[in-house]
This record gives sequence, C-alpha cells and structure tokens, in this order.
Amino acid sequence: MSKTINNNSLDNQPIDTQLHTNPTKPIENIVIVGGGTAGWITAGTLAAKLKKQHDKNFSVTLIESANVAPIGVGEGTWPTMRRTLKNMGIRETDFIRQCHVSFKQGAKFCQWVTGKKDDFYYHPLMLPESAGQDDVSAYWQAIQFPYMAHSSHSNNAADQQSFSMLLSPQQAICEAGLAPKLITTAEYDAIANYAYHLDAGCFSEFLKQHCINQLNVNHVVDDVIGISNDDSGDISCLTTKQHSDIYGDLFIDCSGFKSLLLGEHYQVPFKSCQDILFVDSAIAVQVPYEDENSPIASHTISTAQTAGWIWDIGLSSRRGVGHVYASKYISEQAATEQLKQYLSPTVADVEQLTFRKIDINPGHREKFWHKNCVAVGLSAGFLEPLEASALLLVEISANMIAQQLPANRACMDIVAERFNQTFLYRWDRIIDFLKLHYMLTQRNDSPFWVDNRDPKTIPQSLQTLLELWRYQLPSDNDFTHATEVFPAASYQYVLYGMGFKTQAPHWGISTQAKDAATAVFDKVAQDTAQLQHNLVSNRALINLIKQYGLQRV
Amino acid sequence: MNNVIIDSNTHKNIKVCTGHGKKFGENIHFVPVIADELRSLMLEFPCCLLKNNHTGQFGLHALLGFEPGENLFLTDHGWKSQYIPLHIRRQPFMVGRIGEATDTPSAENTVLTIDMDSLRVKQAADDENAQALFDDKKQPTSYLTSMSKMVFELSQGIQRTEHFIQVLADNDLIEAIQLNVTLNKISAEGESHSEDAKVETETKNFDGLYVINEKKLASLSGDLLAQFHQNGYLQACHLMMASMGQIQKLIQLRNSQA
Repeated sequence: MSKTINNNSLDNQPIDTQLHTNPTKPIENIVIVGGGTAGWITAGTLAAKLKKQHDKNFSVTLIESANVAPIGVGEGTWPTMRRTLKNMGIRETDFIRQCHVSFKQGAKFCQWVTGKKDDFYYHPLMLPESAGQDDVSAYWQAIQFPYMAHSSHSNNAADQQSFSMLLSPQQAICEAGLAPKLITTAEYDAIANYAYHLDAGCFSEFLKQHCINQLNVNHVVDDVIGISNDDSGDISCLTTKQHSDIYGDLFIDCSGFKSLLLGEHYQVPFKSCQDILFVDSAIAVQVPYEDENSPIASHTISTAQTAGWIWDIGLSSRRGVGHVYASKYISEQAATEQLKQYLSPTVADVEQLTFRKIDINPGHREKFWHKNCVAVGLSAGFLEPLEASALLLVEISANMIAQQLPANRACMDIVAERFNQTFLYRWDRIIDFLKLHYMLTQRNDSPFWVDNRDPKTIPQSLQTLLELWRYQLPSDNDFTHATEVFPAASYQYVLYGMGFKTQAPHWGISTQAKDAATAVFDKVAQDTAQLQHNLVSNRALINLIKQYGLQRV
Repeated sequence: MNNVIIDSNTHKNIKVCTGHGKKFGENIHFVPVIADELRSLMLEFPCCLLKNNHTGQFGLHALLGFEPGENLFLTDHGWKSQYIPLHIRRQPFMVGRIGEATDTPSAENTVLTIDMDSLRVKQAADDENAQALFDDKKQPTSYLTSMSKMVFELSQGIQRTEHFIQVLADNDLIEAIQLNVTLNKISAEGESHSEDAKVETETKNFDGLYVINEKKLASLSGDLLAQFHQNGYLQACHLMMASMGQIQKLIQLRNSQA
C-alpha cells in the first residue's frame, strides 16, 4: 500500500456528472420559508450562532407570506426555551413583557387515572431529588408509591405521599400558585426549574423584530410561487410573486402544515401515528381573566375527557384553552359541549367565546432533511400538545442545524443523514412517552380509553420498557442516546403518578439505603417549606417584572 | 416613618439628638451610599451593589457587617471609622418631593422633612447634645441650615448614583460575586478565650453581592470610554473596585470581636 495518502478523492471523480451541484460549493446563503414561531426561532438560532462565531460569507433570509396566518400552536414551552432565547441575545424582561408570558413549572394531569374529581398527578420540571442514586433508588422501589396525589396534606410517613410530593418541592409550589424565582433572581436563572407559557402570535412578532434589528436576518414578505431545482435535484431558487428569484444553498421549510418544500415539492411521505395516538382534532378558545390581577396558574392543566383532553394555559393576559379529541370517538358538537362545560365554572358566558376548530394529523415525515432542504416545525410533523413538544422540536432542530451546519454541499448529505436518524429516534421517543399517559389509565368510561390500552396500539419499544419497569425503576440506562428528549425522571413522574407498580426488590432494603432515602425526603420537605415561605405568586412576580424588570446578573 | 414638612411654627420647639449608637438604629450591616462618597468610603468600607428585595433594582451600599444587626464600625461611643456615611449623618431629615418623582430635584420641587417617629426627635428637650431647629426669632439655626444643605446634596447624589448604576447595568458592567470568608465563631459566653484555647472558625458564603466586571470595564473603548471618563463613572468604578479590598478589614474587625 502506498504511503502517500490520497487527499484528492474529490478531484478523482469522473467529470461526466458536471451538471451536478459542485460538491465543494460552500454553504453561504440560508433561506427559510415561513414566518411563524418555527421560522423565526430557526432564523434567530442560526443567525446568532453565525454572527457570534464568524464574520463573512453568510446570510440568513426569511420569506414570509403576508396572506398565511400562523397556526400559533404551542403556547407552552420547555425549560430549553430559556437557553434558546438567551443564545439569541434576547432580554428575558423584554420577552416576558411583550409576549404576555407567565412562568410554567410543569403539568398537572387531572382525571387521567380514574376519572374521578379528586384524581390528579404532576409532572414537575424539577428532577426528582437525588434521582439516579443507587441507594435511594432501591428504597423508592420498595415504597410502591400509591396513587394518592390528593392526599398531599398528610404529613405522615413516606408511604402516605405521592412520588412527586416526596421527591420534589415543585408540586407544592404549583398548587400554591407561586413563581419559580424572585425579582432579585437574574434573567434566565431559576430557583425552581421553569419554562414559559407564551402568546404565540406576539412571540412570532417579537422574534421577528429581534432577528431583523439585532441579528441582520433579511426579511422578505412575499408569496413563493415557484421552486426551481438544479440538475442534481437540489433546490436552487424560489420564485416569488413580487421579488426576484431568491437563491440559496440551504433551504429550511418552516411553512407549517403546508410543508411546501419537503412535502409538496419533494413529496417526502408522511408517516401517520394515529394508530398509536388517536387524537386528530382540536377546538381552541381564548378565555379572558375575570380581572387583570386574577391568579395565573403556575403549570399547564390537562384534564382528561371521554375521548381526549382539555389543555388550560394561563398567560399573563388571558387563558388559552382547548379540547383535543379523537373524532372517531366523539362528535365535534359533543366535544365543544364538553369544552363549554369545563369552562362554565370560570367564565360568565361561554356562548360569547369564539371557538376555533383545528384538524390535526398526528405523525411526521419519513425524513426531515432531503437534498439541500430541511423541515422544522409543523412541516416536519405534529403531535398533540400533551407534553409541549412542538416548540421543543423546533428548538432542538434549529440547534442541531446551527451546531452542525455543513460547510459545503459535499458534507451536507452526511449531516442530513445524521439529522434524520437523530430526529426519527426523537419522534419515536416522544410518541412512546405520549402513549404512556394513555396506556396506564384505569378509565373505562369510553372505548377511547379502553382502546388506548389495547397492546396492538402500543409500540413494541414501550411494551418492552414497561415489562422491565415492573421489576426496576426507569433509569437513564434505558435510553441509549446521549441527548434524550425525556429523561428517565419524566417516565418516573408519569408512571408513579399514574399508580404504576414496580415490584419491591426481593433482595430487601439495607439500612443504609433507607437512611439515604429518608434524608432525601427530609430535604425535599425542608426545601418545600422554605420555598413556600420565600416565593411570591406567579401573578405578583409578573407584575414586578413589568414594573421594574429583571437584572441581567 | 412619619415624615412631615418642617416649618418654623410647628417645629419651633423641636430638638434633635445628634449622637450615634444602636439606640438610633445604626446597628445595620449595610448602608445605602452615593457615588460622591466613594472617595472617602473606599479608605475604610467595602462598597458594592446590592439588590432591593422588593424591586430587584441595584443600589450602591457600604458593607458594615456580615449579618443583620451587626455594624462592626459602631461602638458604644460612636463610629470607629474616620468617615460616617451621609445616610447615617442625615438622620432624621429627608428631602420630600413635590410633583413628579422623575423630575430632577431642585430648590423648587423639593422640601425638607423630618421623621417625627425618629428617636432623635425631642420636644424641647434640654439634652446637651440636642440641637434646636429654630432660634427664638423662628429663624433656622446653623445646625438646621447645614443639615438642609447636606440633605439636598444627598438627594441630588442619590439621583446621580441611580443614573450611574443604570449605565453600568445597560453596558453589562455588573457581575455577581460569591464571598467566602472564614470567621471566628462567636463564643456563646462572650468571654475571651484562654490563651491555649483553639479559636473555632467557620466558613460562610455570602451571595447577592454585585461588583464591577473588571474585564468588561477594561474592554470599554471609544466614545463610551470617553463618556465614562467625562462623567466620572470610570473613577467611580475604580473606587468601587479598590474598596472591595476592605473586606479583609471587615473580617479582622469581626474576628477581633469574636
């Protein structure tokens, strides 16, 4: 073998494919189609990264139709949104003031297990205290965590309390309507882990101004009326109605359900998951507060119905409420009636409200990055907003594109392949995790819940994990990727919140393990008391931020 | 607090005690100061920014002790420091504002007030250390005139200092520090240790202190740097930075009491 390493493999390729895109063509111009939250988060994430680390030969352009109203899904976020906004150079104070933001510390699932009035459990955003410590785990396992979230007032022995109450102060904070931080806490810093509830319409506009004014994103308001390929099948340019052709090296499809580039142009097939997650319709409504100082819930409230569930999100300006349901099991009229019944105790006249029907098609594209086009947001796929995964997927997609931005066309296919593998895995895990909420129910009041427990509707990957978890606690060893969407802790909150039983180890529990666990429970109880004493209400903190602002440090 | 506008009829018999001590509430562990005082303060006190618990807004303060109620500069006979912060010396007087709070304070929109609930305020007391506000002809005494001048200067200084802090925040020149100090444990009996007794120490962490970000200050350039220089902000920053060395003195004061 020759000792000389041949570095010129590209030059050695036959020249007969000269019509193909030049593989060494550098990636310079990024064109994003769509000006909803997905488009602007992607533009901001890319532009901020490029501006911070580089100084020439790049541009980010966003084309937005004046005629397409954004869907505005996803008023709930994950804690990741704090980093996403910070990385774009956004002041948290500005964001909170302009997007009618409130703080979200988790989700409260009501009537998902038995369907009775006092039936609820929490999925808080703080990790369980000392999660993953071996000696503590063994004892948790022995406790059995009875399904008794509503007995939270009992300060008796550990076996009287729910998993989330024993291992995190956050459920108590949420129940008391408290904020996750103080006015003296710096922007984006937390005392209790938090995410946001936001007004999606205001959020797009806010991001747009920031991207244009601070991050030099080119903004084109026009309709895309034509898409041109080069001979290799890459998109070379987009034809617009009023502006000239817009050329680019990488095209990002943020066109929403329309999926203009990936779906319509490239015909990448859609993979439905309605056989697993039955929900296919939503009725959304905006609900005013009684007055401007009404309490704001510190968490998303998700209340199960006979064939779906109702989300209830408290912004600082109004509530966003909606019923997502499976049309196979309930009519639109009956679903609207259930929503009105849900609202009637807190709304003077439900007939005055405007109800908006949205059809949803649960599932995702078979791949997300094809040729020189990648889809982010609804154009890639959609799942019911049970765990606020929509904006999260946008953020982590934009991040991966920004972090692994291919330098030229030759390496784009490698990055694309990796992107597709990563995100197919992530969509599957999210689908598994959402299904978990349905399959553990004890409700028998409609075929919807019964069918959800049918093993034929449960992915094999999830069935395998459930079999394992009958004998051991969910652990991060159960998940193979370096950056999982849902940590084992999230599975623990849902499993034990819903009364799932993991058998006590037949090896017994050592004194050491018992002591370690008791120390953890005591610490959580102490933290809970201290936080309840120090924190102000969600509404009070929002008002203080509106008046004084948070400091950057 | 019960601040009322001073006038020569209502307050003709009022006297004010001018001494110092715990009884006047001077046993506080930090005190608000103005930037104009930094030159004097930095020779004795650590000066840094603290956040107001109710508003989250920064204020400039001199540190006097490590925990509530502890003023290491205060003795039974007065302050052991050469300099006493204006906020202490102005008591029980304060400037009252007429009209919009955002207007620049001037002779026209401000009035002198006195806190009638202050323990310093006496009705015709014959206390030797007590100072009258008005003389027999209802004219302000030289004491009142000098206090009035001090309080109006302080009021303008407070506004200049707030502006200075706002500029610091806008330019991202403030950073949080955590202070780790080793203090001698205060013995329960309050008696001095015998010579061979080991002094017990404890390490304490203090959060919530904010100082000038020296790296960012050093990287200021061009017009902004020139502005900082012209406004005296650059000098104020350096005085604040130098003052933090007085933390060592504060530790010594504390440990010599323990």
